Amino acid sequence: MISKIINMVERIKDAEDRFLESMFVSEPLMDDGFSINIVRKLNRRLWLRRLTLPIAVSIGGAVAFKPLVGLVTTLANFASLLPQNLVSTATESIPQLQIIVLGAVLLAVCLLGMQTLEE
Amino acid sequence: MTMSEDRDLVARAVSAEDTAAFGELIRRHQSQVRNFLRKLAGDHTLADDLAQDCFMHAWDKLHTYSGRGSFIGWLLKVAYTTFLQSKRKSKRYAQILESVGHMADQQQRAHAAFAGEVTDLDKFLAVLSAEERAIMVMSYACGLSHREIGDATDLPVGTVKSMIFRAKEKIRNSFDIKDHQHG
Repeated sequence: MISKIINMVERIKDAEDRFLESMFVSEPLMDDGFSINIVRKLNRRLWLRRLTLPIAVSIGGAVAFKPLVGLVTTLANFASLLPQNLVSTATESIPQLQIIVLGAVLLAVCLLGMQTLEE
Repeated sequence: MTMSEDRDLVARAVSAEDTAAFGELIRRHQSQVRNFLRKLAGDHTLADDLAQDCFMHAWDKLHTYSGRGSFIGWLLKVAYTTFLQSKRKSKRYAQILESVGHMADQQQRAHAAFAGEVTDLDKFLAVLSAEERAIMVMSYACGLSHREIGDATDLPVGTVKSMIFRAKEKIRNSFDIKDHQHG
């Protein structure tokens, strides 16, 4: 009720208000390709954003591939140097080690997937 | 052009990143936004550039439009923020220019360009501060309510009313409006 009264009071215009309105009034501007330009810019930006992630992953993968292979080879060599009884003790103390590792990897992949979907 | 149609278009643009829906919103409101910025900036080319920036910002922030007020009110808030940001940037730019001694020359050129095309409205707006100008344009050119202006400028409704009152008084004191009113 109060807001209705406030709106009515706002709408009551005197001669000065009407004069100011007539001074401020301006011709509607034609679009003339204004909106198309912006939409084109936005589409270009969306495409760039969609392409950025796969391109970054590919470049990152290509750059990281060689060092990663080197790291895995070094770790494999290092593992072969460990005493056999130490390795078997670790496997015995955590019997489900493979499943735990697999679960952790799956969880990480799911989280990344969820984040990508959310974005 | 209804508010519910605007809200539908916003929903489509946000949920599916539908640029065509946003294009329709631009077509509906570009005239008001460009006219608003032209009156604030006083330069048509600059105003149209600012309007482009405004719509780009609006696309980025579209998910923040709650649908509570009118879409044009929300859009004018984005436009006003864009205008203030550009003003701050150009002020910094002017300070740099001034420090290297280019300012006087630039000002002379600006005055020469402005002198030829001064309208009555430009004279009215010249006596107002930037904030008063924005509020008067929102009120008298765009037809926003005091509450919508308050939302757009982040000012309380009471302050908006008193600023409009003060701006009218300034215009009244600077020009003889009664002569205009009676022809």
